[in-house]
Amino acid sequence: MIRSALIFLRRLRAFVIRDYRLAVSYKLDFFMRIFSVLIMVISFYFVSRMLVGQVNSAFPEWENPFLTWLTGFPFLSYFLTGFSSLANAIREEQKQGTLESVLITPINIPTMIVCSSAWDLIQVTITSFCYFFFGWIFFDAHFKGSFLLAILFLVVTTLVLGCLGILSASFAMVFKRGDPFAILLGTGSALFSGVLFPTQLLGKEFGILSRLLPTTYGLDGIRRVLIMGEGLYQVREPLLILFSFLVVLLPFSLWIFDRAVQRAKRDGSLVQF
Amino acid sequence: MTEATVEGHYATREREIDTRPVAISIEGLSKLYVPPFSRVRKAFGRPVKAPVTALQNVSFDVHAGEVFGLLGRNGAGKTTLTKIVATLIQPTNGRVSVYSLDTITNEKQVKSLIGLATAEERSSYWRLTAEENLVFFARIYGMGDRPAKTRVSELIEQLELTEAARRRFGELSTGNKQRVAVARALLMNPPILLLDEPTRSLDPLAAARMRTLIAALASASPPVTVLLTSHNLTEVEELCSRVAVISRGSIRAIGSPLGLRSTEQSDEAVTLIIQGLELAKLNNCILEIYDNPEMSVDGLNVTVTFKRQSGDQMLDLAIRTIHRAGGRIISIEIRTGKLLDVLERLETETETEGAMS
Repeated sequence: MIRSALIFLRRLRAFVIRDYRLAVSYKLDFFMRIFSVLIMVISFYFVSRMLVGQVNSAFPEWENPFLTWLTGFPFLSYFLTGFSSLANAIREEQKQGTLESVLITPINIPTMIVCSSAWDLIQVTITSFCYFFFGWIFFDAHFKGSFLLAILFLVVTTLVLGCLGILSASFAMVFKRGDPFAILLGTGSALFSGVLFPTQLLGKEFGILSRLLPTTYGLDGIRRVLIMGEGLYQVREPLLILFSFLVVLLPFSLWIFDRAVQRAKRDGSLVQF
Repeated sequence: MTEATVEGHYATREREIDTRPVAISIEGLSKLYVPPFSRVRKAFGRPVKAPVTALQNVSFDVHAGEVFGLLGRNGAGKTTLTKIVATLIQPTNGRVSVYSLDTITNEKQVKSLIGLATAEERSSYWRLTAEENLVFFARIYGMGDRPAKTRVSELIEQLELTEAARRRFGELSTGNKQRVAVARALLMNPPILLLDEPTRSLDPLAAARMRTLIAALASASPPVTVLLTSHNLTEVEELCSRVAVISRGSIRAIGSPLGLRSTEQSDEAVTLIIQGLELAKLNNCILEIYDNPEMSVDGLNVTVTFKRQSGDQMLDLAIRTIHRAGGRIISIEIRTGKLLDVLERLETETETEGAMS
């Protein structure tokens, strides 16, 4: 058990070092990302200045839109990284032609995928931190409430999105492109999960879509904790819904993934893209 | 080797290899590639492409320490076979076991016994250096940091990659990329190596060194078993104790390179260039032993060509007779059947059978 954990950590480290080296081989890319975060934060601030005091009191989380966007964008990108990095891990190795070389080692495919997405999560952690840091240092953005509770929401939502990411990776393995999960979650989450505006404004029909997305509950919970200062008891509903998603999606996605791997191996299409 | 014939020598060698434990066992292996969505297309009345048979009832054993060659044209099924052994593809029927471990049910253990080097240039990360690539793969094999770096240094030296080690993989010559692939396959000192055209892009000197390395690995203690795919017939003859010829997914012949060649042509042409002997006298000498020799004179040299059964014991007698008659042998050349002829014949047979069926 300890030996297996040690080997897993060694592999995780190997993938993180590999991806770090690959990332720094494109020197400007990282700095441009940070720069674009700064531009976004500045934009949020000045657009929000137009709306201060004009937001309907029915949406208390939106009282200061700057803080709401400042939580919405980084956390959404965090969730979506948890989702997309798993399928991207397979696609990138397929595109680079290195999947065979990796799979001939005694590493199993789930470990490979999890380890490959680690660097993406580190990167998005850094950029998310930059959102808050720039908001705090330049525009005096302050949050209240329990950061630990916010992190719990972050972890659970990322895990739920990770399950959908496993489904997406299964799709990538068998069908290669045209992933419906990516299309629905990628565009759907930005539009329907309350990143840009309150989900209550969506109305009855689109509101249903909003309620189907785990990102809606994740963002709602995090904002209620960080902006409204609510505690565990008050945010138990979105948290329970997220756990329900996890309980259903985790075994289902792993089962589908196993079937997809077996099928790709039978078809001999594992390394094709 | 005065008594035993050359064929006898190879037979002895094959028998010796047969006594070793089986490293790779392939039983009734078939692989059928069904075009994607065939059933759906059929259900909607759309035309469905015929499945492609990549392998058909392939069976053979490779013994420990043996260098076993796979020969065949492009698309014959060699790569599919190699990938099935490497656990990357699952067969449609049949079974592959590596040291008695099934490649499907014991995938992880099998992988730890195998090193694979393909001729695919994109098998490493182009923006990492050769050394970084090797260290990464050593780590995902589960090696600790220091042992990984030590092993990589050893391999860099062994495969003469010292100058290329710190350069990005994408900037390396094709030959060096090939060597990195072989180094990667050797990282864990696996008892089984699957080499897909390991010398394809190497210069003649580097190719010769690679062959020496492969031969050394096979004769090391404990020996490394090598399943070698190559289009270089000279390389196969030099390295392989046995060869399987694959054509359209089926094994057409298995045997030692010499054994296969002798099935193609049992006699061989011997050409002697002799000085100090008149044409008529030489004719008499040769006629005592071989029928219908052809002779020609070029200055002091008399060239005589005759046919003999491959590995017969009469050549020695002919040479001694020429010496006794006062002749000096300047050169001897023996032309035997070629492995290429075997491949051509087997391919023609397959095509004929295909056309008839």
